[in-house]
Amino acid sequence: KFIPSKPPPPRRPLNFAEGHESDEEKQFRNVFRQLAGEDMEVSPKELMDILNKIISKHGGLKTDGFSIESCRSMVAVMDSDSTGKLGFHEFKYLWNNIKRWQGIYLSHDNDCSGVIGSHELPQAFKAAGFPLNDQLFKLIIRRYSDEHGDMDFDNFVGCLVRLDAMCRAFKTLDKDNSGSIDLNIKEWLQLTMYS
Amino acid sequence: MSGIASKLQHMRERTRGVGSNDRAVKHLNQDYESLRAGCLQGGRLFEDDCFEALPSSLGFNELGPSSHKVRGITWRRPQDICSNPKFIVENATRTDICQGALGDCWLLAAIASLTLNKQVLSRVVPHDQSFDENYAGIFHFEFWQFGEWVDVVVDDRLPTKDGELLFVHSEEGSEFWSALLEKAYAKLNGCYEALSGGSTTEGFEDFTGGIAESHDLNKADPRLFKIMKKALERGSLLGCSIDITNSGDSEAVTYRKLVKGHAYSVTGADQVEYRGDVVQLVRIRNPWGKVEWNGAWSDSSTEWRYVSGDDRERLTNRSEDGEFWMSFFDFLRQYSRLEICNLTPDALTGDEYKKWAESEFEDTWRRGVSAGGCRNYPNSFWMNPQFIIKLDEVDDDPDDGEEGCTVIVGLMQKNKRRKRKLGEDMETVGFAIYELPEEYSGQRQVHLKKNFFLNNCSAARSETFINLREVSSHFCLPPGEYLIIPSTFEPNKNGDFYVRVFSEKQADFQEIDDPVDCHVEQIDIDEDDISDRFKRLFGQLAGHDVEISAFELQRILNKVVAKRDDIKTNGFSLATCRNMVNLLDKDGSGKLGLVEFKILWTKIEKFLDLYKERDTDQSGGMSSSEMRMTVEAAGFTLNNSLHQIIVARYSELDLTIDFDNFVCCLIRLESLFNTFKALDKDGSGEIQLNFLEWLNLSMV
Repeated sequence: KFIPSKPPPPRRPLNFAEGHESDEEKQFRNVFRQLAGEDMEVSPKELMDILNKIISKHGGLKTDGFSIESCRSMVAVMDSDSTGKLGFHEFKYLWNNIKRWQGIYLSHDNDCSGVIGSHELPQAFKAAGFPLNDQLFKLIIRRYSDEHGDMDFDNFVGCLVRLDAMCRAFKTLDKDNSGSIDLNIKEWLQLTMYS
Repeated sequence: MSGIASKLQHMRERTRGVGSNDRAVKHLNQDYESLRAGCLQGGRLFEDDCFEALPSSLGFNELGPSSHKVRGITWRRPQDICSNPKFIVENATRTDICQGALGDCWLLAAIASLTLNKQVLSRVVPHDQSFDENYAGIFHFEFWQFGEWVDVVVDDRLPTKDGELLFVHSEEGSEFWSALLEKAYAKLNGCYEALSGGSTTEGFEDFTGGIAESHDLNKADPRLFKIMKKALERGSLLGCSIDITNSGDSEAVTYRKLVKGHAYSVTGADQVEYRGDVVQLVRIRNPWGKVEWNGAWSDSSTEWRYVSGDDRERLTNRSEDGEFWMSFFDFLRQYSRLEICNLTPDALTGDEYKKWAESEFEDTWRRGVSAGGCRNYPNSFWMNPQFIIKLDEVDDDPDDGEEGCTVIVGLMQKNKRRKRKLGEDMETVGFAIYELPEEYSGQRQVHLKKNFFLNNCSAARSETFINLREVSSHFCLPPGEYLIIPSTFEPNKNGDFYVRVFSEKQADFQEIDDPVDCHVEQIDIDEDDISDRFKRLFGQLAGHDVEISAFELQRILNKVVAKRDDIKTNGFSLATCRNMVNLLDKDGSGKLGLVEFKILWTKIEKFLDLYKERDTDQSGGMSSSEMRMTVEAAGFTLNNSLHQIIVARYSELDLTIDFDNFVCCLIRLESLFNTFKALDKDGSGEIQLNFLEWLNLSMV
């Protein structure tokens, strides 16, 4: 029922990526290099700067900007080697998702208020591949919406990044598709502390 | 989180045997059997889209797309190079391997040694492949990579220039297993150029999974003869060579008929009685199959006349086959270097070999938390991952008075060669070994702290800190418990490593670490305990609903911390405030009542004290290493992985931790421990979650 996006591809040799890049992707890599600097890795602060720079150019998206805390959390759920930074592939994956979710955000803001109200939320999440039950919606609204129950763009993205990562984490650990996962305290803390 | 999930899953699969030689991991998820079947069905030859016949597969610099060296290179399949290509003719021999235009002689020497051990060779080169039966232009090989076997698929398009193979080729030019093996190894490492410049031991290890040690014969270990003898008994691969001082010396033949700059194999070690003395002898083989040593103890030397008939019968061999004896004394004088690759128990079948006991661990160094650097940095050295080995049984050494336990310790850095294209090269690494004092005997749930290392000397250490993929050393230690600390030379270098121990007798090798536990004091407060002043304050803050929401809490806290210039903070985020409310909100209203708010306030005051107390340099911020101790003072013991996660999640780029992040971290830890304990009703230490339960818990 849930359709989390496909996990980032396995880390392939760099020459594979280069050989297969479209012009658009090559451009993207160059931009990434400028943003990420020498180490080709993006810290939460860099991520925040990138995202805020881009959304400032878009009208129609109501947002008070991505907070550092929300960027830390996004890096944490995406980071695959616990260095606290994102590599090129992880960032590109995140980037493609954000672009997709931006389209969904705009098309589900039926009243053109610039935010997704609690009544618009279920349809928007369904379109993103996450049909949730009422209980989860309540939880998500409490966690990501403002005092009036409205979700702005940065919270929308923050929430979906997390939801997507949680779904993928579950799928990864439930390799035999039994429908449940077993965790000891160390595993539990490693997973949930780094989110 | 999802990255961590993959890591956990990887560990789980390792314990289930995935990655062993018969259950190799499929590189880039490519499955040889199904790819080949697909090609056969479609009547086409395999074209590998993960390692394409493009300049980028050749290299990045000297062999880079714009280099003149790659001009005129075309990729051809073996049928287009010669009329009757063979994968492997009869048995693989050393003439199957001739070096091409790539500086990877180290790799070829390793492949050459491999051909001397059929059993090991057949693991790397599955022999049931050919250009005749079920040929689809696809081949596969198995390599050992940092503790697991990896199956690598390649297509058979090979780089050629003027109709000839550019890199490895066989002498006859019609046998292709070695060229394809090289291609597969290049794919594993990113490109052909990534293979240039390495050491034979690296190749030895990737083909066997063994642990290699290198001996400088000018400064030979006094126990070397015994080490060699034991290595041969254990089926190890031994290679020796004579260093060259300039490139013109390469393959120069001395007047004693030894070849310089050439890889020899050592095939035997023995001793005989000669004129009343015991003489130690070694048997060496020139892989050319000719050109033999002509000094003492060589095939037709007079020395053999003065040994017993039995010994002569047992040892001499007069044929010109490249193999000869020489005295151990001459060996040390003539040769410069000996490399021994000790094999894992699973590489050897049959009872004729004695087997090493092997154990291994993967772990990581991370800036600010577990990348402690070497012993020169006492403030951080203790933060490195720690391992313990217990040696109870001494070696079987009937002919030797000295009692001890033989172990080989190897420390390997992971994946650096592959990252070379990004300019990243090896870190300088090494390790130290400490004898564990009686008081810690048998303890495994403890991470030793700074004081231990200030008060104890190391018992042994790696010969040097060096920027090689692996540093390994041979030790003979008295029985006891030993602590092994692998590290980079300088602190704060990120790295992933793999450490293993080969021991003559079974030995218990474990990572030691603090147990993961929470013993935060519960704060019990009754409404009666709360002062009128606090109640009045609460009344003002909470407004008409008499409860404090996360939004209100954020405003309150930020007002309070804004007044303090002695702590470093960017203010509390809404997420942190929500976490705080969630931790204490007992009635599920999403808001805090008077008692709940008082408890929270008490906690925050305690956190403030802790934060100030630990900020030893009064900078207003706390360093990540101070964080490690403070988390403990706050009531949590955590293992290395969790400390790493905390730093990755909560520290700034300069490795300090702000007050707000400090609070956020402690609150979250406490909540997560509570959740786990609540779910683990039977106290089994394990919880089971279905998908919806998981989302409900993890989205909070």
